[in-house]
Amino acid sequence: MKVLIIEDEKAMAKDMCTFLEKSFYLCDIAYSANEGNNLMEENQYDFILLDLGLPDKDGLEVLNETKKMCPNAAYIILTARGDLDDRIKGLDLGADDYLAKPFSLLELQSRMQAITRRRSGNNDPLIELGDFYLDLNKRAVWFEKKDIELSRKEFDLLSYMLLHKNRPLTRFQLSEHIWGNFSDDEYDSNYIDVHIKNIRKKMSVHAPVDWLQTLRGIGYKIKI
Amino acid sequence: MKLLTKLTLFITLSKLLIVVLFVVMLPLLVNRVSFQYTNYYLGEQKKKVLAVIQKNGVDYYLQGDSAYGSYTMLKEEYISLFPAGNQVVSDTIETSQRIVDNDTLNYRVLTHTLTYGHQHYLLEIGKTTATIGEYNHLLQRFTLYILIGLIAISIIADLVYTNVLLRPLARIVRTKLVDRKFPFKESLPPVKTSTSDFKYLDNSLISLMEKIHEAFDKEREFTSNASHELMTPISILQTNIENMMVDESISEAQQEKISAMMKTLNRLKKIVHSLLYISRIENDQFAKNDTVNMHTVVTEVMDELSHRLEINDIGFTNSVSMNAGVKQVNHDLVFQLLYNLINNAIRYNKPNGFIQVMDQYTPGEHYTLLIKDTGIGIPPEELTTIFNRFKKSGQQGGEGYGLGLSIVKSIALYHEFEIKVNSELGKGTVFSIEIPWQMMAD
Repeated sequence: MKVLIIEDEKAMAKDMCTFLEKSFYLCDIAYSANEGNNLMEENQYDFILLDLGLPDKDGLEVLNETKKMCPNAAYIILTARGDLDDRIKGLDLGADDYLAKPFSLLELQSRMQAITRRRSGNNDPLIELGDFYLDLNKRAVWFEKKDIELSRKEFDLLSYMLLHKNRPLTRFQLSEHIWGNFSDDEYDSNYIDVHIKNIRKKMSVHAPVDWLQTLRGIGYKIKI
Repeated sequence: MKLLTKLTLFITLSKLLIVVLFVVMLPLLVNRVSFQYTNYYLGEQKKKVLAVIQKNGVDYYLQGDSAYGSYTMLKEEYISLFPAGNQVVSDTIETSQRIVDNDTLNYRVLTHTLTYGHQHYLLEIGKTTATIGEYNHLLQRFTLYILIGLIAISIIADLVYTNVLLRPLARIVRTKLVDRKFPFKESLPPVKTSTSDFKYLDNSLISLMEKIHEAFDKEREFTSNASHELMTPISILQTNIENMMVDESISEAQQEKISAMMKTLNRLKKIVHSLLYISRIENDQFAKNDTVNMHTVVTEVMDELSHRLEINDIGFTNSVSMNAGVKQVNHDLVFQLLYNLINNAIRYNKPNGFIQVMDQYTPGEHYTLLIKDTGIGIPPEELTTIFNRFKKSGQQGGEGYGLGLSIVKSIALYHEFEIKVNSELGKGTVFSIEIPWQMMAD
C-alpha cells in the first residue's frame, strides 16, 4: 500500500513514515501542498494523509484539488485546529476520516486498516489468532466453530491488539483507544487489566492464550 | 433600604417634625402676638384719648370730681383719669388686677402721666386679658390648617421630584447591572440623564464592563492560540515516543521508562485538550439547537462509566423523570457536563458507595438536576474554588479536580445554567444544576 504524507512538520512526517513502514506501507513525504501535487502527478497512492495547516495553501482547498487528481485514494485529514467546522467540511469534501493532533500512530494505523476493510467489502475478514479466529465485521471470536462471547469493549481491545500484533502497547494507548477523549489517564488504565483478565478467562477455557503477553510496568502485547 | 425609600422617609419625617414643633410652639407664639397687638392697641387708644382731652380739656371729663372712670358694659375695657399729685411716672404696660363694680378682673393696663395745666394726671387704659386671648384658638387652628396643607403640598412635590431625579439611577441599575451575564458581551447605550453624577456612574460602568470583556477576550484568545501552538510539538513528541516503543533494539527497562514518558505526555495532552475545549465553548463554537431528554443523557453517561462503577462497587440510580426535556442546548456539551460530574462522584466516592441522580421541578423558575454521592466530600474552604482552573484538592489521593469542573462551569455558563454545590466532609457532595424554566421543552 502506498501512502503520501502531506505534512509541514518534518519530524512528525518522518515519524509517521517510520511507523507505517514497519507495517509494510510504502511512504512518500511532501512538506508542502506544492510538493504533494508534484508527487501525485507521478504516483498513484492508496492513502493520502493530509495536514490541514499547510504553509502554502489552505488545507481544505488542497483536499478539494487533490481529490480530483487522486480520486481513488483514501483521505485522512490531520489537524491541530480541532474546529468542528473544519472536520465537517473535510468529511463533506470526501475525506474518509479525521484525526485531531496530537493523535497516536496506533490510532492512525487502525483507522487506515478500517478504511481498507470497508473498501474491500467482506473479503476474507477472518483473522487467525492462535487457535482462534476473529471476524471483524461480525465482531465475533470463534474456536472450532464455537462462538466465544466477549463484551463490546473486550472485543475492541482484542482486535486492536491483534491489529498491532508484536508491538508493545501501553495501558494508556489501549485505554485511549477504548475510551477516546473520555479516557482518564491512570485511572482508566487499571480497567484495561480487568478487561484483559476477562479476555484470558473466557478464551483460555478453550485453548492456551500464551500469545497474549503481559509486559510488566508497561502493558500488553500479542505475539504471534 | 432603597435610596428612594430612605429619601421619602427622611422628607416625611423631617416635615412631620416641623409640624410637631410648630404645634408645640403655636400657643406661645399666638399669645405673644396678641399681647403685642394689645400693647399696640392700648398705645393707639392712648393717642386718641390724649387727642380728645387736648380738644375738650381735662375738666370736661372730671367735671369737678377728683377722678374720671369709664368702662364698657361688659367691662372689657376701661379708661380712668385721676390727679397724680407730683408723682410723674413714665409709660408702663403691665398686667394687673382692677376692681370694677365689685368685680376683680385681670386687665392689661397702660399707665400714662398726663400733664395738663400745672397738674399731673394719671391716665390708665385697660383691656381685660380674657378678651386678649379671644381669637387665639381660632388663629391657632387656622394657621395649623394652612401649615399642614403647605407641608403636604411640599412633601408631594419633594417626592415627585426625587422620584424623577432618581429614575436614571434605577435605569442604570436595571439595564447595566441586573441580570447582566458575564462576560458582558453586548455593550449597552448610555442612560439618558442630565445629572452629571449619574452620567459619571453610567460611563464608569460601561467602560468597566468593556474592560472586563476585553480582558476576557484576550484570555480566551491566548488560551486558544497557546493550546493550538502546543498541539504540534506534543504531536511530534507522541509519534516520536511511539516509534521508540516499537524499536527492537530497545531493552525492556528502557521500554518501561518510555512508557512512563508516554504517561506524562498523556497528561500534558489531556490538559491542553481540556483548555482547548474550554476555549471552544467560550468561543461559541457549539450550536445550541438540540433538545435533550435528561433521563436519556444520564443513561448514556452511565453506559460510558459502567466499568468504573462495577470495579469500585458503587451503586447508582437514575431517578430523573422520563419526560424531562431541555431545549436549546448542545447535546455533546450536556453529556460532557454530566459525565464530568458523575465521573467525579465515582472518583471521589468510597468503596460500596452510592450515587443518585434526580431532579426537581420549581414551575416558572427552574428545573434542577441533582447529582448526589456518598463520597469523601469537599472541605468548606475549598467549595468556592473548586470550579477554578487547575485548582487542586488539598486532600490526598491523586490529581485533584484538574480541569473537569472548569469544563463543567464553562458549559453551565454557556447554557445559562446555574451550578451549585453542597458538601459535607466525609459524608458526600450534592451538585445541583438549575436550568431556567423557559428552556424546558413542552
